[in-house]
Amino acid sequence: MEKRLSAAAIWLLMVLYGASVAQGERTRDKMYKPILGASCFRRLNGTHQTGCSSTYSGSVGVLHRINVEADLEFLLAGPPSPPYAPMIPPHLFTRDNLMRLKMAGPQNISVVLLVNQTNNMQQFSHELNCPNQYSGINSSSETCDATNPAKNWNPWGTGLLHEDFPFPIFYIDDTDEIEKLMQCFEKFNNKDYKTHALRSLCAVEVKAFMSAAVNTEVCMRRTNFINNLGGSKYCDPLEGRNVYATVYPREPLLNDGIEVLRTDEKIIMVTCRLDTVSMFDGVGVGAMDSLMGLAVFTQVANLLRQLLPPQSSLPDSRRNILFVTFNGESYDYIGSQRFVYDMERLEFPPESAHSPPIAFDNIDFMLDIGTLDDIANIKLHALRGSDLAQKLLGQLNNYARASRYGFNLNIQSEISAHIPPTSAQSFLRRDPNFRALILNARPTNKYYHSIYDDAKNIDFTYANTSKDFTQLADVGDFKGLKADSLQMKVRNISSIVALALYQTLTGKEYTGTKVANPLLADELLYCFLESADCPLFKASSYPDSPTGLQLPPMRYISVLGGSQESSGWTYRVLGYLLSQPQPNIPKENCTKLPLHYFAGYNNVGECRLTTQNYSYALSPAFLIDGYDWSSGQYSTWTESTWSQFSARIFLRPSNVHQITTLSIGIVVLIVSFCLVYIISSRSEVLFEDLPASNAALPPPTAC
Amino acid sequence: MDISKAPNPRKLQLCRTYFFAGFAFLPFVWAINVCWFFQEAFRKPPYPEQNQIKRFVIYSAVGTIFWLIVLSAWIVIFQTNRTAWGATADYMSFIIPLGSA
Repeated sequence: MEKRLSAAAIWLLMVLYGASVAQGERTRDKMYKPILGASCFRRLNGTHQTGCSSTYSGSVGVLHRINVEADLEFLLAGPPSPPYAPMIPPHLFTRDNLMRLKMAGPQNISVVLLVNQTNNMQQFSHELNCPNQYSGINSSSETCDATNPAKNWNPWGTGLLHEDFPFPIFYIDDTDEIEKLMQCFEKFNNKDYKTHALRSLCAVEVKAFMSAAVNTEVCMRRTNFINNLGGSKYCDPLEGRNVYATVYPREPLLNDGIEVLRTDEKIIMVTCRLDTVSMFDGVGVGAMDSLMGLAVFTQVANLLRQLLPPQSSLPDSRRNILFVTFNGESYDYIGSQRFVYDMERLEFPPESAHSPPIAFDNIDFMLDIGTLDDIANIKLHALRGSDLAQKLLGQLNNYARASRYGFNLNIQSEISAHIPPTSAQSFLRRDPNFRALILNARPTNKYYHSIYDDAKNIDFTYANTSKDFTQLADVGDFKGLKADSLQMKVRNISSIVALALYQTLTGKEYTGTKVANPLLADELLYCFLESADCPLFKASSYPDSPTGLQLPPMRYISVLGGSQESSGWTYRVLGYLLSQPQPNIPKENCTKLPLHYFAGYNNVGECRLTTQNYSYALSPAFLIDGYDWSSGQYSTWTESTWSQFSARIFLRPSNVHQITTLSIGIVVLIVSFCLVYIISSRSEVLFEDLPASNAALPPPTAC
Repeated sequence: MDISKAPNPRKLQLCRTYFFAGFAFLPFVWAINVCWFFQEAFRKPPYPEQNQIKRFVIYSAVGTIFWLIVLSAWIVIFQTNRTAWGATADYMSFIIPLGSA
């Protein structure tokens, strides 16, 4: 009994001891540490592929920190244990350096990590010097001269966004993640470089394999291919939605549904760009490059909606303003090209809107809001001089300089082919005589189309006043904001534009003191820059609908089935700001469009008569049968499909180690074969007593 | 099936069937025929049907080699020119590689 007790006690001890030491962690999790970040991916156009891709099973490279340019020399001049993965801070992520890494080939450089250490960063723009050069009015140097910084639209651009890299580029934003990488590098790699080949080194593995290749023609052909047994998709066209709304509701179609063109309708179009782009998936809010324009656009819409008298009391009661924000403009004007294509075919507005088509003849003129980098240096661009340009410039400056408003701005004019890369180019391309005017500031954005074009770049601080942002404000009422704050700048420029349009429509000068409310700009910029869970988005949603994520909405056009967050929110905001309150309609009866029930400011709930809708932003190239992909007529951009983005670090054994392991394995294999052969051939010696397996069975003994 | 246990006429019949089946664009059947009946045709002591079996085995071997040459030539030509042929090559393929031309 005593013996058994002591045995049980020993067992118990062992179990208890084992439990404290044993770990359920998988070997895989012990070997690898995941790294969070954003990856660069592949896009294709009619003739090329751009962006990056890893190898099929993931690219592996030894970590190497680049602090100064000279550190790159180590990697480029026959490094001891290739391939390497340089960790580059933004100020060294230059065209020169990246092209040198590309030239070194994937056998030397297999991964590039961009680490978010912005101390020495002066600029970071990887768009071309001439964005959308080949899809505008013409590609002449008069419109944009890439070699002359004074004559192009993105002097800081490196064009890396349009290069094809043979390695994945991974952006690591989080400081903890960067710390992980740096520690691993310091501990294992950053010493005794000569013996790299003989040691285990800290390496990173990045998986970002892209299915599409060559160009859009090839990948679309393969995707639509009838023999495609796997049903695999190689690429998807960039696709999104434009958002539009009118300041006055348009008459709906007659009940019989016959589309009748209203030739007497005279429409002024106010437009801007909705999307932005960056090199890395899901990062980049495009604060200065397009959000400023969108902020001014919504402010103008709100101000005009509230200032303008009813349509019937206008001198010409068939006039209206159409606000359109185009999606996918960063990629050869996808949204506006489609808009022009649809309008030519009398297919705008789309059928779902149940309103009569609008033709080019209905358009009085177009005022396009381009990039507004520097509010003090805005120009009104036009391709050809006209009375209209003169008149509008006069009106704009009348308000810009008026002492009663104190905006103290001066808008210059430029009548030349030096047209900024904005949506108006799609309209001018179809017809150079189209009456398009473009408000655009001198380019000063050093972070155009990049991950660093954020709130910091435009110096935005959220005022968070919780005051009513929907009402107009008195011109002297700054709502507690500083006179030189971003919100006030947006207020000033949007008031000027809106008042000039007010005068165009009513024929009277505006003499009131109500101007745009800077808090609306504050709220809109907050929603799009910091968090979609914000008062403006809540106000423009249905009461108690799910709130947005506490992240800025993604503003890249993406593909069909993509998030489309930015167009969705813009649709609601524009719908809310450009609608007429219907205080007499109760919530129960306010269910059918164009009536829509909004939460409104402070969640009071209000029924409004709305005008907003979507139109397609998918390039006509994907609609036309047998389209010639290299013709350059329409945008041909597609995005490759991928299965995953991931990055992880681990200790990569040295080459010697790997070769030794393999050799031992082969030797053991050969030895075991020999051994088995010898044993088998000598089996009768070893197993003397046993009958051979193929020997006849002994005859059964008789019972 | 253990061919050594079959009677000789049965061997000949089998060999002939395999040889003719190979004409249905089935070079593998010829290859199998060669392997299977090689011993019977060349290594076994002579018996009446052996001459005919020998003939079928030789013919099958010739057919196999012919197919081997044609197929390898085609595979080499196709693989080296696949990207250059563009759409034509894609239409000929059932499996198109991911991520490359």
